[in-house]
Amino acid sequence: MTVPTLGLPRMHKEAGERRDFLPDLVAAVADLGGRIVVEGAIGSGMGYSDADYLRVGPNVMVGSNEDAFAQDVVLVLRAPEDRLHLLRRGAMLVSMLHFPTRPRRVARLVELGLDAISLDLLTDDIGHRLVVDGRDVAWNGLEAAFDVLEREWPEFARPTRSPIRVTVLGAGAIGKDAVEAATKYGNLERAHRLAHLPGVEVTTVGRNLTGRTEYMRERLAVTDVLVDSTQRHDPSVPLVPNSWLACLPEHAVICDLVVDPYLLHESPPTVRGIEGIPQGNLDRWAFGPEDPAWDEVPDEVDRSHRRWVVSCYSWPGVHPHACMELYGHQLAPLLRALLRAGGVEGISREGEYHERALWRAGLRSWVGLHVAAV
Amino acid sequence: MGATDGTPQYIVPPVLGLPRMHMEAGERRDFLPEFVAAADRAGAGEIVLEHGYGAGMGFGQDAYLAASPKVRFADYAEVLASDIVTVIRCPDEAALRSMRPDAVLVTMLHYPTRPHRTKLVADLGLRAVSLDAVVDDLGRRQVEYLEAVGWNGVRLAFVEIARMHPHFAHPSRRPLRVTCLGAGAVGAHAVRAATRYGDPELRAELAASDVPGVEVTVVDFDLTRHEDYLLGRLEVTDLLIDATQRLDATRPIVPNPWIAALPADSVILDLAVDPYDTSVDPPLTKGIEGVPHGNLDRYVFPVDDAAWDELDHGIDTRQRRLALSCYAWPGIEPVDCMRVYGRQIELVLGVVLRVPPDRLDVDSDDPRERAVAHAELGRWLA
Repeated sequence: MTVPTLGLPRMHKEAGERRDFLPDLVAAVADLGGRIVVEGAIGSGMGYSDADYLRVGPNVMVGSNEDAFAQDVVLVLRAPEDRLHLLRRGAMLVSMLHFPTRPRRVARLVELGLDAISLDLLTDDIGHRLVVDGRDVAWNGLEAAFDVLEREWPEFARPTRSPIRVTVLGAGAIGKDAVEAATKYGNLERAHRLAHLPGVEVTTVGRNLTGRTEYMRERLAVTDVLVDSTQRHDPSVPLVPNSWLACLPEHAVICDLVVDPYLLHESPPTVRGIEGIPQGNLDRWAFGPEDPAWDEVPDEVDRSHRRWVVSCYSWPGVHPHACMELYGHQLAPLLRALLRAGGVEGISREGEYHERALWRAGLRSWVGLHVAAV
Repeated sequence: MGATDGTPQYIVPPVLGLPRMHMEAGERRDFLPEFVAAADRAGAGEIVLEHGYGAGMGFGQDAYLAASPKVRFADYAEVLASDIVTVIRCPDEAALRSMRPDAVLVTMLHYPTRPHRTKLVADLGLRAVSLDAVVDDLGRRQVEYLEAVGWNGVRLAFVEIARMHPHFAHPSRRPLRVTCLGAGAVGAHAVRAATRYGDPELRAELAASDVPGVEVTVVDFDLTRHEDYLLGRLEVTDLLIDATQRLDATRPIVPNPWIAALPADSVILDLAVDPYDTSVDPPLTKGIEGVPHGNLDRYVFPVDDAAWDELDHGIDTRQRRLALSCYAWPGIEPVDCMRVYGRQIELVLGVVLRVPPDRLDVDSDDPRERAVAHAELGRWLA
């Protein structure tokens, strides 16, 4: 069986996107013998050089972005929306493809004759995600929120202050991590440094309270950090209307972990859970009340009440090395199983543990299930 | 390379023994028939089940015999004589002594906190894999069901709250207030469960009737040690949850006199389930002092329950609220628990049935073999 070639292109989204797969992941599959083409300057945002990758094995080579996309299997973390045409028909894209919420992307992959595995759909036999960095969403977001609070609020370091009050909206998977992160000021070093101060009281509010105006207004009035970690049933309606933000203390910080977009002209439309706040990315994620980013929010959206906001489309990317180390670790056995099987043709739904996971996350099974359901 | 990449290393497929757990009567858990089928596929030679296996969950012999032709039933002693013995809770000392040297014991051994038992297992010449020590390369436990700890405990606590509060299901009542001590893994599940009354159906029912929900406040150790703060917090708490992992088990987080600050109709839920031990100096105590230590037979303790008085007299139990405590919270829902444990342990068994523990390679290419190798007794002793 021929081992498929593997391409590792870089991500050219915002300048602050410094993540690339690390040499360790390349090393985990290099011994299988297939050619591996990495894009030049891969890892440079985290201090690696091309030589670090070439050193892994003689079958590793450096090429252009197009070269990396021209391989049998192409692995890139964020979906390369504007690069799909570079893959050749029959090639496989392995990426965070989010099939359930991106039907247009699925159609485009099918139209281009590509195979694909969606990293976000890789699960074990009981449904736990195998490639996921949810913890860093919460920790990096809370770290950014407390960075702002510490910098902007003089009371923060005073021994006489009351415990800091954090309100977490949503008690799902991210909310779970957000609670723990908030109790530690989003950063263990800071928690240690501030151990002599009254700590952080974290209150979680689920769906059966967030809709109660009177309760929420009272809650917001005693909130120093407001965290949105909700999964809304109806994304066309904000959870916290902009007018409610007036209830928050002036020094309060809003921490946006959900990062829904504003899609006002889609049907149904999508608005952000906390109405009016700007959306950040890896270039900029902290926005003061006077920041011009507020003015970039669509005019139809009420943004008159403002507080400091931290928001980032890719929270795990704030600490790129830790993020890619984790992803690489999670992905190595799966990528190995995929290449060892000779690609998607060798993957069986009844195969060993990793094969089953790959099969479930494949475009073929997604489309098959989707068609069957129709 | 690792051993699981190749063929089994046993010359004769090993006999797998599945004994029952002879603890309290309420311990009904045994592996499900689907686990037995998986053990068959994983290479077990013969699968010996103790008479009555699965009966506590409503499974008869036929269910297991249908799962695999390799199944036969035997008495406890014969099951313990198998090549590999797998059971969730560790058998008692007499049972361990009845196993033959070189047999493989796969169970929750808790090496760090049970040094005497660990030494006994080693002295008896047994080989062992401790299920609680099976961790992936990032140190995450592969066999655990903390979700059930949080959800089962919280669900039962709300059953008691509903029983005690006449307006529990009335739209006019205020939001219920839960205080969770501890923000670790158990606490995280407890928080999520508490926002849903521990019961999604009940939550939906109450939401449909426009009944206000539950506000859950988490406080970690940097606040729990502030007496004024914590007493103020207790005064507005309907359900107090202990989900802490204390570094010093000799000091309670909530000394018994502080329980007086809780409203009279509040409920205490002990998810940490730390034991009392007055045989050591200083004695070990629960995080919430005075709460009885429950098990699968008895886990709800009203204030007049004899269990409060049965505690060692050195333990202050004067202040009381209705309390729930169970040493094995996941066992409350045995089938659900064993379905989850079974799937997790399947991966362990897939390794153990092919590779003798002493040949496990912690640097194997196979992540499952590495995970199991971390949990092997010899590695711990070394």
